[in-house]
Amino acid sequence: MPGVLWLAALFVAPLVIIAVISLGSLDDAGHLVLGQPTLDNYARALQPAFLPAFAKSLYYATTTTVVSLAIGYPVAYWISRYGGRRKIALLVLVMLPFWTSYLIRSYAWMIILRDNGVVNSALIETGLLADPIQMLNTDFSVILGMVYGFLPFAILPLFVSIDRLDQRLVQAGRDLYASGRGAFLHVTLPLTMPGIVAASLLVFIPALGDWVTPDLLGGADTTTIAKIVQVIFTSGRDWPYGSALGFMLMGVTIVGTLAGLRSLRRELIG
Amino acid sequence: MSGDRKPPGVTFDDALNHKLAKAGWSRREFIARVGAFGAYAALTQLLVACASPAASPTAAPATPSPTPAGTTTAEATPEPTAEPTAVPEPEGELYVYNWDGYIGEETVAKFEDQYGIKVTYDLFPDEATQIGKLQSDGKGGGYDVSYPASTWMPAFIADGTVRALDHSLIPNLANLSPQWQNPGYDPGNQYSVPNAWWTTGYAWDPRRIDGDLTSWDTLWDPALDNRMAMLDDVRECFAAAAFRLGLSPNTTDLGELDQILASLAEQKPLLRLYTQDDIGDMVGGTVDLSHCWSGDWVQMTYEKARIRYVIPEEGSIKGNDVMVVLSGAPHPIAAHLWINFNLDAQISAENTNWIGYMGPNEAALPMIDDYIRDDPRLNPPAEVLAELVELAYLAPADLAKYTDRWTQLRAG
Repeated sequence: MPGVLWLAALFVAPLVIIAVISLGSLDDAGHLVLGQPTLDNYARALQPAFLPAFAKSLYYATTTTVVSLAIGYPVAYWISRYGGRRKIALLVLVMLPFWTSYLIRSYAWMIILRDNGVVNSALIETGLLADPIQMLNTDFSVILGMVYGFLPFAILPLFVSIDRLDQRLVQAGRDLYASGRGAFLHVTLPLTMPGIVAASLLVFIPALGDWVTPDLLGGADTTTIAKIVQVIFTSGRDWPYGSALGFMLMGVTIVGTLAGLRSLRRELIG
Repeated sequence: MSGDRKPPGVTFDDALNHKLAKAGWSRREFIARVGAFGAYAALTQLLVACASPAASPTAAPATPSPTPAGTTTAEATPEPTAEPTAVPEPEGELYVYNWDGYIGEETVAKFEDQYGIKVTYDLFPDEATQIGKLQSDGKGGGYDVSYPASTWMPAFIADGTVRALDHSLIPNLANLSPQWQNPGYDPGNQYSVPNAWWTTGYAWDPRRIDGDLTSWDTLWDPALDNRMAMLDDVRECFAAAAFRLGLSPNTTDLGELDQILASLAEQKPLLRLYTQDDIGDMVGGTVDLSHCWSGDWVQMTYEKARIRYVIPEEGSIKGNDVMVVLSGAPHPIAAHLWINFNLDAQISAENTNWIGYMGPNEAALPMIDDYIRDDPRLNPPAEVLAELVELAYLAPADLAKYTDRWTQLRAG
């Protein structure tokens, strides 16, 4: 029951507010008018011009999810199997970056990646590079920043799921002549799939809505759809229009996620 | 002119203080991003909470009101009353709402000492937050004084967000230089007092780009591919392209706006980024040339003295912000005292010397650091100033024309 209350107060209520605002309009002084609901904002938000930004968002979120899983799974596996008494300490280390503002960490990445930054200077000093290579303000720097920021969200659920795995099942697989690789592919991986799904969602969904990282580490050509929403809200001062676009994106995300989960479940169960 | 920006004496200390205080980052943008990430972190945690109901989610972005209780005191009409007392008794408190780092280091403390008024000095992270707060209840969100951009004045006067000033309580208005006595956005300064002003232009590193640059065309020069930044600001970008095309930066003509959009779309592939940190990008060497505001250029020179700045010859933007007393101000007399205090020659000069932005105060000129006052790019002669254009307030329907084109440009 408290869970339902939480959901109602912190999830449903804000959504309803956004939905109501998205049907509103602005008067000549820029004040919100909610009296005459209209779908105009949705029509306006359905712009082919926004597709490239939406594609960028999908590209960043997908790449970030895949890379985070590829790095996060071995890390979580290693902590669970070989962490021993230091497990907790290692998990705390995973969480440690959260103790510093994301903003400050992003600025650190700027200093590391920029043309006369730490990486380029080191490579040029050692003679490995003649001229600096551009890393900052590219797709690379955006994805790097996102992976860095979201990786802990992948490691933690993966760890829980790997740690809960009954190792006797893996041993049973080995007893039945499975190779190490076979036991991993046919026992460990399927049994930790819930952790993989949770990790994917926890990385993919916030990554899809990220505009801070592309803003800080990106360039002229790394605009995500979330940035467009932000522009409409702030410099555009048009809450109804921004709410409509945001609501549509949320719908796409929810439908896409549910469809993905359903097909995954079908694959796993049936 | 662009040589040594640090004359001997006190100005060097000022420069150093600036440097330490700001660590080379644009004050406004840094704060803006701290604010932005706060909301972002809250959303992320909400998602985690949705995935596991046991976790405790962070509240949705409802901004807590920083304002202490503020019922409007039954106050006399804002117009001068017929009472014989020259100066009414000021209230014991004052609520001020301003940018961070946008006032002299000691101004607040000096005001408190002089008048025995306790100042609650709240900061906003970006203009959208400020305007949202001031308009939240239609009368200033509980604050006494705030510092909006002058372009907001016609709207604020029309919808009653600000109150008419009682000039008898602000004798220091006489310190304003003549061109600030009667500004277009608020004739006669009836509702506002100019605070700080700036120009828009661009800065470049002469070690990387030769010559005396003078034109907006440089920002469209294919030879500078991937070495330039434009401000991440719709009005400023549109203005730059408008000046280049010989159009008004305040145009609302759809055909002209489409021309401007086409010009910006032509420029976009040449840009390395639309910057929110022009200071950091120039000082850090990310770009060799950046569209910027004059005050930000001053801050760049604290780190790299050689960086140059120009107000392009095709014309450019002049902007300023103002001090206003909000219509719901709980402490209107103290608010007038605050404005009068900040118009004091000495205080005004201290503000300018700390923040790097010129003020409108003629009496303060002798006390302003000469590297600010004597630089024609920071303090252009009257004939140059007269040519500069102010960005006009755009009604929602006109602003939408800009927003639609800007989002198309950025998304494309």
